[in-house]
Amino acid sequence: MLSAAVFFGVALLAFAGALTLVFHRNPVVAVLGMAVAMVGLGVLYMLLAVPFLGLFLMIVYAGAVMVILLYVIMALGLQEEGPPVGTAQTVLTYAAAALFIAHLYRLTREAVPALFGPVESAFGTIQAFGHLLVSRYAVPFEVASLLLVGAMVGAIVLSRREWT
Amino acid sequence: MTFGLGHVLVLTAFLFGAGLIGALTRKSAITVFLSVELMLNSVNLLLLGLGRHLGQMEGALFAFFVLAVSAAEAAVGVAIVVAFIRRQGTTNIDAANLMKW
Repeated sequence: MLSAAVFFGVALLAFAGALTLVFHRNPVVAVLGMAVAMVGLGVLYMLLAVPFLGLFLMIVYAGAVMVILLYVIMALGLQEEGPPVGTAQTVLTYAAAALFIAHLYRLTREAVPALFGPVESAFGTIQAFGHLLVSRYAVPFEVASLLLVGAMVGAIVLSRREWT
Repeated sequence: MTFGLGHVLVLTAFLFGAGLIGALTRKSAITVFLSVELMLNSVNLLLLGLGRHLGQMEGALFAFFVLAVSAAEAAVGVAIVVAFIRRQGTTNIDAANLMKW
């Protein structure tokens, strides 16, 4: 009962944050909307029995990414954007989004049982997760670390003034 | 009443749709970037919901990898946006027309 109330409250919060992100014309408010959406999504991850991943999400997005984006926006003094895109592109995009939502909703009505069942006690613990990460998924884990190092070097190269 | 996979799927669809609209109809490079992040995270929610439904940890693992990749993407994306603004003096993505014909 409680979890359902939390779920719907947090889902609304995340969706409101997402709408702020997408539609607000001031970039600072949009980034704050992203932070709200990410906190909501983090709570949803916790409700889906993977609590530490929700914490990761909040730290990475509502913490690091939000701060770096606010820093960039304020340091460069960004203003609002120019004129909106053309009507045809807008209409097609809204139609695609509506089609996607309607299709997933139809799938949900047809093929999905209503409620989550109970989970076994080891599910979602950081022990089970870490065990999988260093045994069966060790290679993707290492590749992800290589990717992060590459991204770091790339970000430094791109930020150097004389190289761009 | 508690909640189920259907609720998670519908929420995912709405978040992904909002991100799609933001990525394709907005002209600020920052907003487009944020919308892509929103789409990535709505897919994470889908992976976690399905993993919870099937009782397998693989959903959480893939969400973890998506999170790592999107962190890398955020670092490089912000660097690209900064370089772009320095060069063009605007965040309007219409100014990125060098490779357009």
